[in-house]
Amino acid sequence: MELHPERGEAVREADAAPALSARGLSRRFGAVTALDGLTFEVARGELYGLVGPDGAGKTTAIRALAGLIRLDGGEARVLGLAADDHAVRERVGLMPQQFSLYRDLSVGENLRFFSRVFVLPREVYRRRAERLLEITRLGPFLDRRADALSGGMYKKLALACALLHEPEVLLLDEPTNGVDPVSRRELWALLHEFVHGGMTVLVSTPYMDEAERCGRVGLMNRGRLLLEGAPPALIAGFRDEAYEVRGGERDRVEAELARTASVRAASPAGERLRIVVARGAAPELARSLAPLGATLAPVTPDFEDLFLSRIREEDA
Amino acid sequence: MKGRIRRSLVRIYAMAAKEGRHIVRDPRTLYMSLGMPVLLLFLFGYGVAFDIDRIPLAVVDQDRTESSRALVHALTASRELVSVGELPDPAAVLGAFRQERAVAALVVDEGYERALLAREVVPVQLLVDGADALVANQLLAKADALVRAESQRLASAEVGETTPPVRVKVWTRYNPDGRSAFYMVPGLAAYLLAITAVLLTALTIAGEWERGSMEQLFASPIGRLEIVLGKLLPYLGLGLLEFLLVVAFGMIAFDLPMRGSGFALALLGLVFLLGMLGQGLLVSVIAKNQTVATQAGTMSSLLPSLLLSGMIFPIENMPVVLQHFSRVIPARYLVHGLRGVLLKGNGLDVLWPDLLALAVFALVVIGLATARFQRRLA
Ligand SMILES: Nc1ncnc2c1ncn2[C@@H]1O[C@H](COP(=O)(O)OP(=O)(O)OP(=O)(O)O)[C@@H](O)[C@H]1O
Ligand SMILES: [Mg+2]
Repeated sequence: MELHPERGEAVREADAAPALSARGLSRRFGAVTALDGLTFEVARGELYGLVGPDGAGKTTAIRALAGLIRLDGGEARVLGLAADDHAVRERVGLMPQQFSLYRDLSVGENLRFFSRVFVLPREVYRRRAERLLEITRLGPFLDRRADALSGGMYKKLALACALLHEPEVLLLDEPTNGVDPVSRRELWALLHEFVHGGMTVLVSTPYMDEAERCGRVGLMNRGRLLLEGAPPALIAGFRDEAYEVRGGERDRVEAELARTASVRAASPAGERLRIVVARGAAPELARSLAPLGATLAPVTPDFEDLFLSRIREEDA
Repeated sequence: MKGRIRRSLVRIYAMAAKEGRHIVRDPRTLYMSLGMPVLLLFLFGYGVAFDIDRIPLAVVDQDRTESSRALVHALTASRELVSVGELPDPAAVLGAFRQERAVAALVVDEGYERALLAREVVPVQLLVDGADALVANQLLAKADALVRAESQRLASAEVGETTPPVRVKVWTRYNPDGRSAFYMVPGLAAYLLAITAVLLTALTIAGEWERGSMEQLFASPIGRLEIVLGKLLPYLGLGLLEFLLVVAFGMIAFDLPMRGSGFALALLGLVFLLGMLGQGLLVSVIAKNQTVATQAGTMSSLLPSLLLSGMIFPIENMPVVLQHFSRVIPARYLVHGLRGVLLKGNGLDVLWPDLLALAVFALVVIGLATARFQRRLA
């Protein structure tokens, strides 16, 4: 009993399409190439992390998927529809990186405004707002102006505003930036809860350690994806080795490391230096560091090591 | 379809209610729209002198003699007064004033030449449209000088005559006291309304860009026209309040009369405000930041409204290019319409061209603002 077979097919096709699809996205801002052929897909119900340093193009990528910017090339699709299709907006929630709520409105007034913009019936709004205020623990601050909230509370309010219409796809741009560690853990717990409920979540973060909390991550640098996969598989496929450099005079040790081609990345870890070295190159490095009074101690590689070495490799 | 309209109305309401909150919480907005105009009106409410020429003069010549024609010629020879034609009788003068074909009328009664020849003192009447007090005052001075000269000429033509035979009797209509505040206040009201209205909205969309909230808005289902209309509504209310306040203040402080209907007045204010608020939206859609929007908003409303609206400089005295340019300045129509409603008691029958011009302007700028309003962050 299909009256419009061709339309029915289109609907089925849209239903089968990935939640998010970026195909060769490119965008330049003057001399800066923010997106350089970025390609990735996020399946329905997935928690995908877009990880990358400042200026990698994460915000531009998320805006492209929210249909908010003009693209020089490529195609951004959401739930099988063009990203800037009006129908998509009812089904997607966005939490921008920068402050984007109304500072002079209270927590409750901001929520009410967005519930009206999404034309939620009053009872539906009341029920959802109550639940969101509970899980974000913003209830006691209902009458506080948004500009008087702490960084973490503000992020939670922005999250609540993006969730009011119960989107199928949630886009979060650096939701944990400027948030204390406790709130950060809470926020990630919430995201996992949403994904369990069937929501698709794309989250960007500059913190490499947060990558481990995602179902799949994409490492972004200079507008492109360098690496993509599930966290355990990525770590398992790491070809280099990680070491801690102990002792020695810091400046001279750093100069020696900078001179050595096999050292892919070096970053301070407290008093010591953490380095990533090409597989098998450690013994030779240890010999050249010995006269400086420094020794190498092997450590388990983590995401930061993996990402830093890949980014350095790419930038070199 | 019905559901779509209802959803659209809910979103417009959401926008309007939110914007209303911003207004109530920002003392600067309230001061700019309600406090400042009254203050400025008070400060600037007193007239300044300006020079004028080429005043349209209607002639009612009931004598139709050589002498009466000589008098008309003497008055119009200098080009300060320009004859716009003859009227059949004095009763037609008021009609000409209303339609603004003339701001002055010379009435020469039958028997003018006969009386002159009989060496009597002959009264001629000069009727002046006092709604324009600046014009009226200068006109009186000029007409007096011109008639006196003509009178001297007549006297010296006769032998040894010392009394000038022609005397001017002046009737000022609409503004019998010749008070310049009557002339200035409607102009100032229009001017103040113009600049505050443009600035009020110029700041609002630019503010959304600057505060980053545009990103959240664009990601939501709210449409561009919904944003524009939602933002217009509360400022329209505020603008109307400002308008009524300014007019009421003019009545109290300057004894401004209110001869027309309140409905005509409100309608005039409403349509004018729509246009100016729309102009502000257009400015802020293009400017994207509050500093630029403020400057562009001020420039696009302050100077034209001040110089080209006819508030200070009568439009008929402007260079032709500027006269044409003034046609796209909404303040021109408000100044004109306000003077008509307040001072002459004009109704919609006379007012409609002004209303129409204002409505066209409003439609064009709101349409342009919506079209130029791109749903893109970059
Ligand atoms: N609207 C814009 N105008 C000009 N340049 C832009 C604009 N948006 C982004 N860029 C530039 O594009 C590049 C990528 O920026 P983007 O904000 O996408 O990076 P990001 O990964 O989100 O960085 P961050 O972690 O700092 O938020 C940067 O060099 C940035 O300066
Ligand atoms: Mg960013």
